[in-house]
Amino acid sequence: MKKYLLLFTVLICQKSIGQELFLLTDPASNVPANSLAVNILQSAFEREMTSGYMYGIMPEVTYGLNRNLMFRASAFVSNRNNEMVAEGGNFLAKYRFYSQDDLNSHFRLAAFGRYSFNNAPIHQEQIEIMGQNSGFETGIVATKLIKKLAISSTISFEKAFDNTPNNSFPDNFGNNATNYTLSFGKLMYPKKYTSLKQTNINLMVEFIGQTINENGKSYLDVIPVVQFIFNSQARLDLAYRREIMSSMVRSAPNGVYLNLYYTFFNVVK
Amino acid sequence: MKIVHKKYILLFALTIMFAATSQAQIAKAEIQATGLTCSMCSNAINKQLKSLAEVENVEIDLNTNTFTVTLKENNSLKPSVFKENVEKAGFFIGSLILTVKPETIAKEPYILLDGKEKQANEILIQVLDKGYVTNKTFKKLSKSYKNSLTFNNNDETDFHIKVLN
Repeated sequence: MKKYLLLFTVLICQKSIGQELFLLTDPASNVPANSLAVNILQSAFEREMTSGYMYGIMPEVTYGLNRNLMFRASAFVSNRNNEMVAEGGNFLAKYRFYSQDDLNSHFRLAAFGRYSFNNAPIHQEQIEIMGQNSGFETGIVATKLIKKLAISSTISFEKAFDNTPNNSFPDNFGNNATNYTLSFGKLMYPKKYTSLKQTNINLMVEFIGQTINENGKSYLDVIPVVQFIFNSQARLDLAYRREIMSSMVRSAPNGVYLNLYYTFFNVVK
Repeated sequence: MKIVHKKYILLFALTIMFAATSQAQIAKAEIQATGLTCSMCSNAINKQLKSLAEVENVEIDLNTNTFTVTLKENNSLKPSVFKENVEKAGFFIGSLILTVKPETIAKEPYILLDGKEKQANEILIQVLDKGYVTNKTFKKLSKSYKNSLTFNNNDETDFHIKVLN
């Protein structure tokens, strides 16, 4: 398994035509100003403690206020406690504060902050404000496009609060963590563009890791992604998430994602 | 006498106004955008340009990220409109070449830095200011034109140009 993942990563890095429209790790670039993107991220993750799968639905709306600032709102629905229920939501603001662009290349930096609320019971040491914990996260993203190969990395601080209204964060868990991500992307098809209607196929690999600051417990996941772009406006992402290592309690680390994404350009006339 | 005089002034003013609108126009803009390689990104620029009322048509070369924008007649667009809209899409201009009438560049806000004024029907000009060329090119240009009184002021209201044909 690990060999294949390594091969996948090497494959992506070698051929240097890249994309940065990653599934889980946002790049430093924002959505276009005055555009509205809507997406629905669905997931099915294998439960560690009981049998069966945990299904999640995360609808999201992203708006580009200007060329440097974008906002996103997300909602979390899951069957963690056997029925599909709305458990919480998240607000994200991302500001691109540095851009060094050249023909077919760029280096960009962005800062982001997100705030989440969640009412679900807390069953794991992993802090995940995107669907499991109330809390906030703040960090910096750097994205480099070199000769069309996109590499993006994030470092952030994440802190969990008690889940509203009556699921408090366990005292024996560390409530804040350092997160880090590293992502690579490559365009597989077409080799040469002919029109905006052409379907594009991208391959990506994302690494996501976390260390709880208090006790040093960590995990590292790998997420290979296949992405289809239709009509230069709609996106379909299929992905698989696999734990590479972990020293903490996690309720459902391994699973699959299906994401549908659509962009509306020039929404406010 | 006075009335005649006023009439002349009016006529003169009207002539100037019409002359200004018909002469200041840009017929075509060829924009090369930087910082992108994906067709979804190109489409963002495409949609942004097409949202302008003055734009007749946009042709795209996705492999070179070049957008050829045909503009409606009698528009009074300035080069800055292309910069603003490419940047709104999240990208930057690497080169901007405009097709204009010779009269257009003979006056403000254009300042001729390189090449000779010609009496051809249409001339091609490149805008050399910061934000209209790549950063590397701009560094070279600011050395080459260090004797220009205005080029390195980075005044966003004037446009330094080179005649290409």
